[in-house]
Amino acid sequence: MKEAKEWVKEQKVSIEEILFDDLYERARERGVERVRQAVDEGIVREVAMVSEADCIMEIFSYPIARMIVASVESDYLVRRYALAEAKKAYESMKNEEGSFIDYLAREMGVEVSGNEIYFTDYLKYAPTWDINWKLVNREMRKGYVLLSKSEVARLIQEAIRKKIYNELAFAFAPPEVKKVFKDEILGIKNKVIFKEEKRKVGEVKEEGFPPCIKNLIAAVKAGINVPHVGRFTLVTFLNAVGMDIEEILKIFASSPDFNAEKTRYQIEHITGRISGTVYATPKCDTIRTWGLCYPDEYCRNIRHPLFYYRRRARK
Amino acid sequence: MSFLRRKFYSYYLNPRIEFPPRFDRREYAFILFNEDTMHRHISFSSRNDILSYLKMNVPAHAYYSSAYYRHPSAERMMDKEWMGADLIFDLDADHLPNARNLSYEEALKEVKEELKKLLSFLMEDFGFGERDIKLYFSGGRGYHCHVCNEKVLELGGQERREVVDYITARGLDIKKVMGEKNLPAEKFSGRFSIKTIKINPNQGGWQGRIARAIIDFFKRIKNMEGEDAIKELVKIEGIGEKTARAIYDALTDERMKRIEAGLLDQSTEFRKIAKPLVTKLAVSLHSEADEPVTADIKRLIRLPGSLHGKTGLRVTGIDIKKIDDFDPLTDAVVFGENSVKVNVLKKMEITMMENHFKIEKGEAKLPEYLAVFLVARGLAEVRPP
Ligand code: SF4
Repeated sequence: MKEAKEWVKEQKVSIEEILFDDLYERARERGVERVRQAVDEGIVREVAMVSEADCIMEIFSYPIARMIVASVESDYLVRRYALAEAKKAYESMKNEEGSFIDYLAREMGVEVSGNEIYFTDYLKYAPTWDINWKLVNREMRKGYVLLSKSEVARLIQEAIRKKIYNELAFAFAPPEVKKVFKDEILGIKNKVIFKEEKRKVGEVKEEGFPPCIKNLIAAVKAGINVPHVGRFTLVTFLNAVGMDIEEILKIFASSPDFNAEKTRYQIEHITGRISGTVYATPKCDTIRTWGLCYPDEYCRNIRHPLFYYRRRARK
Repeated sequence: MSFLRRKFYSYYLNPRIEFPPRFDRREYAFILFNEDTMHRHISFSSRNDILSYLKMNVPAHAYYSSAYYRHPSAERMMDKEWMGADLIFDLDADHLPNARNLSYEEALKEVKEELKKLLSFLMEDFGFGERDIKLYFSGGRGYHCHVCNEKVLELGGQERREVVDYITARGLDIKKVMGEKNLPAEKFSGRFSIKTIKINPNQGGWQGRIARAIIDFFKRIKNMEGEDAIKELVKIEGIGEKTARAIYDALTDERMKRIEAGLLDQSTEFRKIAKPLVTKLAVSLHSEADEPVTADIKRLIRLPGSLHGKTGLRVTGIDIKKIDDFDPLTDAVVFGENSVKVNVLKKMEITMMENHFKIEKGEAKLPEYLAVFLVARGLAEVRPP
């Protein structure tokens, strides 16, 4: 695969050829498939590659998929696609040997040597609001953080996702793309709209929120810098009561160092959209040790903020 | 012109300023004598412009931004366009838990110990070299440590906070870091597995630091007389006399060997012991409630070579290798020996320029350097001539 990529780089194939030449028919089909898989399954599946031609088609399908994504002009799709491609890379990193990971890391500009990664890159890509990923709980020596192989792969997944997202967020596809893939683009667009609609669910009764949560929301909205654990508590809580990502994001939008892309990623991570693990809302005890508990009269006998909400929201 | 301002003027006629890297991309800020407001959003395109500004305005305090900007003199943050920032640690006596009761000299000594801890983290764990690190005496009650390295320039606030948390041990999970394991039962010790912790003093990061501290701790306890050891142990939160005795009695030579090999049993006690050790190893960079200023990507920092208006001392660079020799009340002094008549407001003792002074309240003739220091700190007055 690596060699094939080098090979393709040396060939000067024009966009016209890729879009119109019969030779690349299979690459075009696979390109559409990549985007569809991203939308439907959230991951681009690997395909069996037997011959060299398979390899080459696979490689050409990638720029095609990207052009299609850019043509749909939906931020949701760009995000979903970037994540799906990054997940694919993660899967293949798990199966391939170490040299492939090193190769990908270098492509992403991440400084990796063996299972060690330079701490600035680590901080850029690690979900450090998770206690397991917090730098202080990691073994670090001379600037390099020691990780397991799958953890390295996980960081590179995030580097890839970020890179693809940044490249596609403001990209324009050549107008021919819209013509060649007219029907496919329309189909994908409809699906994307449908998916986005579906996420808007349930009614959340903010009056029933416990004081700790109300306080955090007020602080975030007022633009006060809220510590990690506070954000974490807030996101897990809001997710648990059924708020969708867009709504949660809106609350954070007035935060002083608000970065939509990063915040969204954090929210998606905490709520299990990326890692598959949904983080639980911390117990009152924990919230108290963080100094974020401001109990009111209803907090008596309450041990978990979600119980508070369930009890009060019913009325 | 007041005495202090006159003296500052004489220094700024020919100051020794150390210009920050990319000095023309920084925002500068000054507080002038007899003013409370800060003059901000100033930028300079040449070193000479900075020098003339200092000479013309004779500021009481001079700062520059840790960040560098595309348009450093723009008034709104948004328009400045942030390009990056040095990583700066501000170690100040005010952040120490017992600062209030210390004299100026004692407080600075304590801060220096924190500075050394910080350096060990920066060099061993973060891998910065002497070239990346610049140390300054702040002119006030502390030290500044600047890390100027390509790699850290673009770290954002949240990422800087992770660095600070590492150094201050905030969020450290001892259980996780020390890797508690259930080892399979050893021969003869029964069929149960015992909770054992394997520590390794040669490991990097907090793992190694805690491991070394624990081993040292047990060595120290073992070498103590029984009662002293118990006294030391019960100081630890959660350890009562009974437990202390049990721990001490169990410290046989054989057990000590196991500990030195990195094998600890009785994991809960171990965690209790580890806790205060972590506190000792961590750097006190800020109090619990404070937002760490290091994480702030657009803060202002004192200009090296400028004078501190509340002490008259110079913000002075320190050679890493010579930290121990650095004495702020000698090395950061810029004024001379000429004698000055002052009215001392409070009886005191102080060592400056390696001379010990015992000063009584009232009129006194003091060398200029001491007069400046006392007047700046509000401990003496000079009547206008
Ligand atoms: S008691 Fe629990 S629910 Fe009430 S404010 Fe404290 S943390 Fe929140």
